[in-house]
Amino acid sequence: MLPQQHDKLQVMSHAVVGFPTLDENERAIAGLVASGVKLIELQVPFSDPVADGHTLVNACYEALKTGGSVRATLDLCAKVSRQHPEASFILMSYLNPLYRYGLEQLFRDAAAAGFKGMIIPDMPVEEFEPFMPLLDELGLAPILMVTPNTPDERVARIAQSARKMIYVVSRMGVTGKQTQWGQEFKDYVARIRRHSDLPLAIGFGVRAADDLKALTGVAEVAAFCSKYIEWQRDQGSEQAAQNMRQLLLDAQLA
Amino acid sequence: MIRSNKGYFGEFGGRYVPEILRPALTELEEMFEQLRDDPSFWQEYVTLCQEFSGRPTPLTPLRRLSAKLGGAQIWLKREDLNHSGAHKINNVLGQGLLVQRMGKKRIIAETGAGQHGLATAIMAARLGLQATIYMGADDIERQYSNVFWMRQLGSEVVGVETGARTLKEALDEAMRDWAASVETTHYVLGTACGPAPFPELVSYFQSVISYEMREQAMKQMGQLPDEVVACVGGGSNAMGAFAAFLEDQQVALVGVEAGGLSMKTGEHSIRMLPNTAEPGIAQGYKTLFLQNQDGQLGDTHSIAAGLDYVGVSPILAHLSQTGRVTPERATDSEVTEAFSLLMKTEGIIPALESSHALAGGFKRAKTMRPDQNVVINLSGRGDKDIFNIARAFPQAEWPEFLKREAVRCQQLVDDQQETN
Repeated sequence: MLPQQHDKLQVMSHAVVGFPTLDENERAIAGLVASGVKLIELQVPFSDPVADGHTLVNACYEALKTGGSVRATLDLCAKVSRQHPEASFILMSYLNPLYRYGLEQLFRDAAAAGFKGMIIPDMPVEEFEPFMPLLDELGLAPILMVTPNTPDERVARIAQSARKMIYVVSRMGVTGKQTQWGQEFKDYVARIRRHSDLPLAIGFGVRAADDLKALTGVAEVAAFCSKYIEWQRDQGSEQAAQNMRQLLLDAQLA
Repeated sequence: MIRSNKGYFGEFGGRYVPEILRPALTELEEMFEQLRDDPSFWQEYVTLCQEFSGRPTPLTPLRRLSAKLGGAQIWLKREDLNHSGAHKINNVLGQGLLVQRMGKKRIIAETGAGQHGLATAIMAARLGLQATIYMGADDIERQYSNVFWMRQLGSEVVGVETGARTLKEALDEAMRDWAASVETTHYVLGTACGPAPFPELVSYFQSVISYEMREQAMKQMGQLPDEVVACVGGGSNAMGAFAAFLEDQQVALVGVEAGGLSMKTGEHSIRMLPNTAEPGIAQGYKTLFLQNQDGQLGDTHSIAAGLDYVGVSPILAHLSQTGRVTPERATDSEVTEAFSLLMKTEGIIPALESSHALAGGFKRAKTMRPDQNVVINLSGRGDKDIFNIARAFPQAEWPEFLKREAVRCQQLVDDQQETN
């Protein structure tokens, strides 16, 4: 479920729609929910995912061959949000597939499919602003990203349109590599908190139980995505779900 | 020179990037805004181009060919005579001045055919910068001679193994590098595409082509040309050739895209003609992209790797919609024909990219009067791309030679290893 400020850390995980197959997505999501994950991003695969590292780039490439698309993502959400009412699903996509679908229609259809929020890395806050009345009416939260080099006045502008939570990109770079959680990172989180009371989701570089322990008490959500997709790719969805269960136990989050 | 409206040209352009890249683009834009109106900066740039790249490049009349085709007088703007063999060096030298002002010590670039990568490697060597060039793994294989030179010049060339392994993926990968390194690294984008301010900034530096062309036309023809023709990949040489004429409505501006094998999806790189590309937002900007119904960017083909790209400059997308720029296409076979015709009639060896402009320009010149003038922008030369040209003109002699040469080269490597 979507967190409240100061809730204990929970893990958000990931599915690339169509990776390894559309059928497998459903089983993998069931496995994640059974392991205790209640917050799951469904990523629309894209041909040019510029904010992602190699794990997700390659998963996108494979997913496009098996029928991953905007339509397939909406259909999948409609199914899994019915099957797992205790979980919240977040639409993750680059802008172009959504733009081609038609943004207003997409927002309506995403809300109808059961999505609670959206992460669109290449859609700047300026582009969200005209849609805010519609998004608030639909209850579909833009989960906007801030990065270590985002200046204060821009964090303030982002905080104004952000709903439900803010996605805090932990470091410079793309997904799928390690992050250090030192004082500099804590200062950065504190800087973001000065602009918003929303819960914070930390993404990029969350790859092990130690990372989750380091983030417990610092943030409300940790995005554990690339590493999970690596498990899924190398060991299959069933083992990936077991690994997730073990991860949550090791991090004392189960 | 065309100015954007906050990064937009009509509906195209903009800055659709992950938040992490925004500060660097804002910094670049602020610097560019200050420098573009400073005449001493333009003078510094023109002097550098002169000292290092032999500018101004000549405007060459094609007397024999014009007589043979029997239409308008055809002139070539000789960007092929630049150092590095193509117009790409203009933009790179300009961005080099910006890098020096920013004090950054590392540069990155994407490259398709390798021309922009080579120009970047040259600039890095001259300014003592560390350079990493991203290039699709398939392009590395197709354009190995440019890779050879980039490495000899001291640049790191990184093969991109994702997706279709061509220019589009190289651009994605350069943006990923930049997301991690943006505080110390400048991204030398090679064409008039990408997030603002790049389309405007690259066009600004390339406009040196048409400012010279204008002056030369007045001197050599006694008037402005009736038409200016350029090939369009990303659009930097076309914007360079068109920029100074945008206000002169009597000068027709013609952009020739890669018609490839056919109009079938995936067999060409045409973005500006009807029923090809559609508006989309990717790689940091909004333009006409070849894409499918689901917004996935499409596959492209051209005999010329430098034109093999899914998007097009947002400035050209806009100018083609307003009607100021006329889009044309040339197929692979028209291109090889124009290539041979220029070479055999005028003794000039063009790049395959530029041969698209030749094919389009020759076709149009034939329909015009002898008292009219067409200037074709010869954006690059072909003699240094001997491997590509040899592929475009298959003949038994060449592979036989390569086999013998491979044996000789291997012998040299083996001997060297023995003595080590």
